[in-house]
Amino acid sequence: MRWAAWMLAGPLLWAGLFSVVYALHGVGCAWGWPALTTPIGQAQVVILAAVWVGGLALHAILIWQMPRGPSREDRLVSYGAWIGLVASLLTLAPILLTSTCF
Amino acid sequence: MSDAGQRMNPPQRALRLHRQLSGVWSDLPGWRGVLSSVNHGTIGLRFMATACVFFAIGGVLSMLIRAQLSTPRGAFLDTALYNQIFTMHGSIMMFLFAIPMLEGLALWLLPKILGARDMAFPRLSALGYWCYLFGGTIILLSLLAGVAPDGGWFMYTPLSDKTHTPGVNADVWLLGITFVEISAVAAAVEITVTILRCRAADMPLTRMPLMGWYMLGTSVMMLVGFPPLILGSILLELERAFDWPFFAVARGGDPLLWQHLFWLFGHPEVYIIFLPAAGALSTIIPILSRTTILGYGAVVAAVLGLVFLSFGLWVHHMFTVGIPHMALAFFSAASALVAVPTAVQVFVWIGTIWKGRPQLKLPMLYVLGFFLTFVMGGLTGVMLAIVPFNWQAHDTAFVTAHLHYVLIGGFVFPMLAALTYWMPLICGRERVPRLGEAAFWLILIGFHGTFFIMHLTGLLGMPRRIDVYPDNPEWVLPNLISSIFSMVMAMGFALFAFDIILQRFLGTHSRRNPWQAPTLDWAMALPAPVYNFASLPVAAHEGRDVAVTLARGEGLLPGAPRGWRETLVVEAGSGRPEHIAVLPDNSMLPVATALTIGSFFILMLAGLYWLTPLSILGIILVLWRWGFVMGADRDHAVVAVAPSLELPLHWQVRGTLAYGGAVATLVADTSLYACLLFGVGFLTVVAPGWPAPESTVPGLWSAALAIIALAALGFGAFAARQAEAGRATRMAQTHALSGIVSAVVALAAFAGIASGMDDPTRHARDALRGVLLGFAVVHVVIALLLALRCHADARGGRMSAHRRGAAPVWRLWQDFAFVTTAISALLVTAQELL
Repeated sequence: MRWAAWMLAGPLLWAGLFSVVYALHGVGCAWGWPALTTPIGQAQVVILAAVWVGGLALHAILIWQMPRGPSREDRLVSYGAWIGLVASLLTLAPILLTSTCF
Repeated sequence: MSDAGQRMNPPQRALRLHRQLSGVWSDLPGWRGVLSSVNHGTIGLRFMATACVFFAIGGVLSMLIRAQLSTPRGAFLDTALYNQIFTMHGSIMMFLFAIPMLEGLALWLLPKILGARDMAFPRLSALGYWCYLFGGTIILLSLLAGVAPDGGWFMYTPLSDKTHTPGVNADVWLLGITFVEISAVAAAVEITVTILRCRAADMPLTRMPLMGWYMLGTSVMMLVGFPPLILGSILLELERAFDWPFFAVARGGDPLLWQHLFWLFGHPEVYIIFLPAAGALSTIIPILSRTTILGYGAVVAAVLGLVFLSFGLWVHHMFTVGIPHMALAFFSAASALVAVPTAVQVFVWIGTIWKGRPQLKLPMLYVLGFFLTFVMGGLTGVMLAIVPFNWQAHDTAFVTAHLHYVLIGGFVFPMLAALTYWMPLICGRERVPRLGEAAFWLILIGFHGTFFIMHLTGLLGMPRRIDVYPDNPEWVLPNLISSIFSMVMAMGFALFAFDIILQRFLGTHSRRNPWQAPTLDWAMALPAPVYNFASLPVAAHEGRDVAVTLARGEGLLPGAPRGWRETLVVEAGSGRPEHIAVLPDNSMLPVATALTIGSFFILMLAGLYWLTPLSILGIILVLWRWGFVMGADRDHAVVAVAPSLELPLHWQVRGTLAYGGAVATLVADTSLYACLLFGVGFLTVVAPGWPAPESTVPGLWSAALAIIALAALGFGAFAARQAEAGRATRMAQTHALSGIVSAVVALAAFAGIASGMDDPTRHARDALRGVLLGFAVVHVVIALLLALRCHADARGGRMSAHRRGAAPVWRLWQDFAFVTTAISALLVTAQELL
């Protein structure tokens, strides 16, 4: 059943990342992070983007490390890993594209 | 193929095996049989039949709605009754038709298509059915009494709070639906365990029929997706009954918390309904196209994607409540992305039809009806996923049209295909020619005539849920057209029901495997025998005509030589045979348990809260009885499943189905607890009435009591481990006893904490602390019962070196209680310190 754990790892990572980013977004808006600035931009965007990029890096590591082969199990592992990466990339891309708290 | 596949049993007389198995697996005759049946075939069909009755009732209510809206000043219903009727229509269709229908299909079909004799927990199937029937009846009776829910099927606060809905209408919904949800969670637990552990020997997960993957995805979604609704209902009922202010803004609550909890359930619910229907399509399309499915792996990946992504969409139901743009964009992107795995499946099905030689039989007509309808619903779904359009169309008839395209297209059409496809297996008869085709065309034309035009009505600005529209002449014609076609659709459904009844009673006897399907569900006589297979298939039997081979006992575990209901349990991933599960016989316990649970809900509904402890005591006593019949008081010899394949009985292994069920239950429990933590976080961060007033609780005293409780729970976890390790010795009793004492100490500490708590009606924070404490108390009480069970097992000789009794489940539960209580304690501490 190791293959099943590998298959689930990507989507689970997306679920975790999505939850953490959504929660941090709410916390940031409540605690006034948008009013804070850093050398590279608005604090809230920087924090969310850092978490997002970190998550994407974990996805990349997952894809790098996943077992490869011609079997159906290996193909499902590959599908799972890519589903996670694409979902994290697209659903959290608004961090860079939209306003934060209004 | 492994040994199990190679060494088959010698042939026997099929009739002798049939008589032997029928004697063991049949329901009792008469009313005793009605009340005591636990067989998956009976229970599954009951679920489906009852769901169809509720569908008919919901359909009649929809006709009343259409009659009212056919003219702008409809005087057919007054506003109060209209509110009840549209609320009941939605609630019945979602909770009393769609979910039970899929549960019924799963219970009836899964053992057949996976190669087992029954579901993993037959009594749980029966309990689920009775909870569904009783809960549904309570809700339905409220309509006759004129006190039906009237706040819309999603029961938004503050409309549903005590101030705005002072009667019992909302209570009926909250308590009745929660009662029915017990049935859904029970079904989810046993579907999960059945798919993972009760398959044909040597059938790996990656080779099981696609229906198994779809149902596995569905059941996992139910385990995670239903607890938010159950939690929301508990919180709202606590607010209504005891004034605990979770949703009252002035005291730190927030109505948006209800919306989050409801839609955390509500959107995955759409996919919970869709996935089994898609499973039926993935089963039926290749067979009626005389080919194999195109892209098995792609379909599994699509299911995986849907299961996860569907939990990232719920906020798109809340786009207009004032959520910041960035959060809107997260959920908008996820809502658009979820179209991809759905489209993958649609293309797989189209490709399969293209590859094969399709036969335009009746089920295929419904499949084509599905394509037309669901794809259109999917496209309007993408439109609604886009925030600016959503703002325009929100709460209009456009949304009503969209959801009917998705739900009727994505669930009803496939279910009609499934019913017509599997009817010969259900009743052993062929259908009466041509009637079904007429019903199909009436339904299809009626549906699109009703709901396509409703998109336009919505774009013309007509809001949902209004009963008259005297000042909007532009809505008159489209509404009249919708109403006329809805009657056509109703006639179609009536004709479909008539056709099914004719087939059941007047159809000619069907030949075996009328569709020439390669799947195991057709590798049996028609109608399906109560035991499914006289001997159990192995994976290699799939795709071959093995009905006679299996009926002659050449498969595994032939007959019922020990007079028990036995089925094979396999390793979850590989399908390697592991042990034999002895399943429970006919029993009155499920109906008795459902009645005691029902008494709790009825007492709550009647406001007789002081009497509810009696119901809780009754529930504990009945559940104690469930545990009593689970163990064995002696070691049993291994069972010869086939030449050179001997397996132990389930009493003598650790990884039993019951253990798997406990793990699945804890998944649901974890989801509920996570939602509770979300509630605490959400109100703390977002609700306007915070920070909460200063706590008056003596901090040191509470902290000391919390530490005592945690130490006791930790010691209980240690005792559970020791009880299992020492199960062959007299020390098992001692360890179980120490577990009992530690649970009592923890409960005493909780009582101390409760006595000093802030008034939970003062502020949402205090109310949430009350719920956190209640959660801990409930779990420790269950841990205490498991420790008592373990003690009774050890004392009664029901534990030995080979038999572990309830110890593994107790240990699991005790660990969960300890960890969640520790997290709650840390959370409260953090609230005080920060």
